[in-house]
Amino acid sequence: MGQDIFEITINGIKLIVIFLLMVQAVPILVWVERRGSAFIQNRLGPNRVGPLGLMQLLADAVKFLNKEDFLPRKAVRALFYTAPVYALIPGVIAYCAIPLGTPLQIEAFEMAGKMWGPYTFAMQGFDIGVGIVFILGISSLAAYTILMAGWGSGNKFSLMGALRASAQIISYELALGLSIVGVIMLYGTFNLTDMVLAQQGPMSFSFMGNQVVIPWLPNWGLFYQPLGFILFFAATFAESNRLPFDLAEGEAELVAGFHTEYGGFKMLMFFIGEYAHMMIAAGLVTTFFFGGYLVPGFTPAEIREFVAQNLASTPNGISAITSVIHLLAYFVKFALFLWFFIHVRWTLPRFRYDQLMDLGWKTMLPWALFNTILTAVVIYVAYNFA
Amino acid sequence: MPSTDVINQIGLSHYLVLSAALFTMGFLGVLMRRNVLVMMMCIELMLNAVNLTFIAFSKFSGRIDGQIMVFFVMTIAAAEAAVGLAIIVSIFKRYREVNIRFFEHLKG
Amino acid sequence: MTADAFIFWFLSLVAVTSGLSVVMMANPIYSALSLAMTMVSLAALFATLGAYFIAGVQVIVYAGAVMVLFVIVLMLFDLREETKAFTRGQVSGALKIAMIGFLAGLIVMVMAQGVKFLAAPDVVDAAKLPEDSSKALGLVLFNRHIFGFEALGVLLLVVAVGTVALARSKGGTHAKH
Repeated sequence: MGQDIFEITINGIKLIVIFLLMVQAVPILVWVERRGSAFIQNRLGPNRVGPLGLMQLLADAVKFLNKEDFLPRKAVRALFYTAPVYALIPGVIAYCAIPLGTPLQIEAFEMAGKMWGPYTFAMQGFDIGVGIVFILGISSLAAYTILMAGWGSGNKFSLMGALRASAQIISYELALGLSIVGVIMLYGTFNLTDMVLAQQGPMSFSFMGNQVVIPWLPNWGLFYQPLGFILFFAATFAESNRLPFDLAEGEAELVAGFHTEYGGFKMLMFFIGEYAHMMIAAGLVTTFFFGGYLVPGFTPAEIREFVAQNLASTPNGISAITSVIHLLAYFVKFALFLWFFIHVRWTLPRFRYDQLMDLGWKTMLPWALFNTILTAVVIYVAYNFA
Repeated sequence: MPSTDVINQIGLSHYLVLSAALFTMGFLGVLMRRNVLVMMMCIELMLNAVNLTFIAFSKFSGRIDGQIMVFFVMTIAAAEAAVGLAIIVSIFKRYREVNIRFFEHLKG
Repeated sequence: MTADAFIFWFLSLVAVTSGLSVVMMANPIYSALSLAMTMVSLAALFATLGAYFIAGVQVIVYAGAVMVLFVIVLMLFDLREETKAFTRGQVSGALKIAMIGFLAGLIVMVMAQGVKFLAAPDVVDAAKLPEDSSKALGLVLFNRHIFGFEALGVLLLVVAVGTVALARSKGGTHAKH
């Protein structure tokens, strides 16, 4: 966690800030989703409360807090009440492992009559050596939330929605995991920060002893793993239970799936959990395939140089402004993918359940296997036949 | 035993005793419970306890082979769970009950 | 108490409590959920022992896949209250508990004896195990243990075929009536 009390405090604050960022992003996303869907469907959407309807979610939150807190007669009390809390935890913990910007370096300074050594704070909740494995593991625990909610409600629709959702999550986890194997082989690491740093500069790779450089393309994973990108992105839709894969809450068949019996603030917590999964998916896609926090065309060293010449003079200031620039670059990419998630939801129709399972097991799994083998063969040829 | 401070010095024996406790609990469950699903869960618990000893020995003897064994154990446990659950679901469809005494009908 | 020691005692407390509730809970769904809890805490213990990759795999495979299957099956059966959760007969029960106590004592004794045969049991030899053990793990797995790995592949194929056959056969899980 850190060497001394200062570092530990800052790292603790960092975790809280990331948690608050995630929770606070949800009202904005809900607003974007409602307004965006309204424009897609040629409506106006919420525009009464505040400028452009931005305060709508605040009003909704007050309403949620004032709703009656009820327990269905056949519900299991312990599971019914703990499920919404557990819905938040995996998403938030997993998101903390995604790098958001270049590390912030602080030089040694004097405070309260004591020297505090130079620090380096990574722009993420915590840096883990096996980042991908950690995120996959933690987010696979989300299936329990759904099952607890569905069974604990004591309602047939809830139970069926929960069974559908968890079967779907387990099935698509295979395709998801296999589509990342190509990326792992490409970068040769599990660490997300190392992956981002491997993507800096223009596209350059060595193939059979020749060094190939394409100056007008960034060195992003997308151009090495296009099939892996498509499979991964499609599988994340299924993992976060969004349309076109939201069979778990098909209104026509199951009322609202596993959260049929939930209302008020408990419902809101499931909502936050769903958006948290969306954010993890968008963050991972950005990190794996779109250079993470890198600004296209410039390496972090070049940006640091630019900042040192034009914007700041002290080392702390240079480091801070560089971090903020990369943070902004990250959030631009991140927001684009979040908007893509929302746009897909209001564009595509829902699958049928057998179509969903066929797609997962008979189409995406074989293609993900093919992608893995192809990547392995190409890497072997590129390095061993000079 | 060279270690003196039992609470602060976490050594190999701590992990071994913990794993022994977990293994014994699993064993207790297999003997005492009558629900086949719970019995299978207790078997998983015993496998997990063994995994803990493998990892602990791998750490404290500086050889990585113990982690490979955990890998193999996990694969076999997953396979065992798949087959076991399929058998249990078949039995449940027939007798509407997953008590262990219905499993004597498996013969023949 | 040092931080490492605190983490160990906390995790082992969680593991033992949830492990006991796997055995003691009358409702099998609570058993399954507490077993998932045990597995997550064991994964955290693996991480304290430096086996980060194994810890991740433990969460993905056990907690994320195997236990979810158990929970799904339990919820499909909808076994709310189990009337006879434990074996009948006081004499046989007492005998079983005595056997288990004997076994526990035996295991602890064997372990206490066996520890002596390790070269330096209570000293962590950090130099031998690399900090990022995933790479070393892969090298050992695909060089020294390649036969076991391939044999596992065959085993998984056999199990997959067997499970499908079981599901499709007369009276199986997906049998056509």
